[in-house]
Amino acid sequence: MTDWILENPDNVTEADIVVGIPSRNEADTIAFPTQMASEGLTSYFKGMKAVIVNCDNLSTDGTKEAFFSATCEVPRIYVSTPEGVAGKGNNFRNLFQLVCDLKAKAVVVVDADLKSITPKWIKNLGEPLFNDYGYVTPIYLRHKYDGTITNNIAYPMSRCLYGRRVRQPIGGDFGFSGELARFYLEHETWDEAVAYFGIDIWMTTLAMYSRKQITQAFLGRPKIHRAKDPASSLGPMFKEVVGTLFNLQSKFESFWKEVKMSRPTAIFGFGLGETEMPPAVSVDVDALYHNLHNGYQDWKDLWREALAPETHSKLMEVMELAPEHFEFPSQLWAHVLFDMSVAYRDRITDTNTLMNSVSPLYFGRTLSFVRSTEGMAMQQAEEYIEEQCQTFEDAKPYLLERWG
Amino acid sequence: MARIIIVDDEEHIRTLYTLELEEDGHEVLSLGTGKEIIRHIDEFNPDVVILDIKMMDVSGLDVLQEVRNKFYDMPVILCSAYGSYKCDLKSVAADYYVVKSSDLTELKKKIKAALAAKIPAKD
Repeated sequence: MTDWILENPDNVTEADIVVGIPSRNEADTIAFPTQMASEGLTSYFKGMKAVIVNCDNLSTDGTKEAFFSATCEVPRIYVSTPEGVAGKGNNFRNLFQLVCDLKAKAVVVVDADLKSITPKWIKNLGEPLFNDYGYVTPIYLRHKYDGTITNNIAYPMSRCLYGRRVRQPIGGDFGFSGELARFYLEHETWDEAVAYFGIDIWMTTLAMYSRKQITQAFLGRPKIHRAKDPASSLGPMFKEVVGTLFNLQSKFESFWKEVKMSRPTAIFGFGLGETEMPPAVSVDVDALYHNLHNGYQDWKDLWREALAPETHSKLMEVMELAPEHFEFPSQLWAHVLFDMSVAYRDRITDTNTLMNSVSPLYFGRTLSFVRSTEGMAMQQAEEYIEEQCQTFEDAKPYLLERWG
Repeated sequence: MARIIIVDDEEHIRTLYTLELEEDGHEVLSLGTGKEIIRHIDEFNPDVVILDIKMMDVSGLDVLQEVRNKFYDMPVILCSAYGSYKCDLKSVAADYYVVKSSDLTELKKKIKAALAAKIPAKD
């Protein structure tokens, strides 16, 4: 029996398509994506049984009431984790269970804080699931400094390891088949980090690992939500995303060791009219520099232990660079992440400590990224990210050697 | 050696590519249009498709979407006289993008890479 709190006022017992909206205290914002989801379902999935599910963490700010009072023509279900159980991943787990219970064929998930979602997002994330695709990730225009964990870790690492070019592997808005929902529900790699912010990279990695057909849905409008300065506190998200990435790397070793180069992923959904430019994200470059150097004081011994001697020596060169000449080369960054993934597998320390030691290095790489791309237009910055990915792929023999 | 489809509306380009690639031992099917590409892929069963972008009757980028939707893992190399199409989001669905040249070194390198990039079957 599932330990959840369920409200199903329309007595929905089966569905063809489900839109899930995970939340935790999103009373101010959830009505808008709910309304857009309803319009998307009624406009583009006519004749199908549809339901919108708010998967919540027992919010105390009236999220449930805001969800049920939104303008909506589609039946709604509210499901929540019990008191004391938080985590985005736990919300998804309830969604996976509900999708299986409703025998749904397709699931679309959108964030509860989205301000730029349109009904076409539901169409483009959902429609490929009725055409042989098992997993759909978003493609939206993002400011070059929005999504730095994606650009510098999640995208290059997942592409290099699993061989599929998925530009937004932790985008937050997804589509997946009912079959994949069952696969997720039953998979043995579920852990505490996945139950929180590790869920997005876990879902994308498992989709690649299980060789589901993946497509990327072009969403036209930029993702407008609560974007953060990349120099601000990382919070638990960084640890959970990178920890999950490293954990799955250990589990799926026999798969990624065979991947030589990456393959493309199709784009679905053009013709959305003129695309909008995303809002600018400002970065505190001084804070990035200081975060790196403060991290050195805290973690120098662990860095020496975790990194290969050559990697460590090059890192020390980088640490000596003055702010105006600062650069953290892509190849060194690839080697640092590869070495850290080996240190994770070897359990040289606990996960929390290791992730805390990686975060200052990430700040250093982010600073270098900001410096290298500051004069670039979005498209040029995109090419820079693609080149970084190629550097990771070219450096894979180093990872294979270190991994053993 | 590989089976390769070349789609380009310029005959001299097709001739050049066909001669060089056949000399390297590949089996080549050369097409002047991408209009019936799906049927040709079904019949010829290529290992890789080389696709021009700016053609008289059809856009190579649209042909690429058609190929990718029907043949999820078919390696496709875009080969254009223009570098600017690389910025078009539709080109993301290609394995590689090569700017046309009478020197086929880069194209041959990408053919080799595309053939080597097969995703392994899972355990």
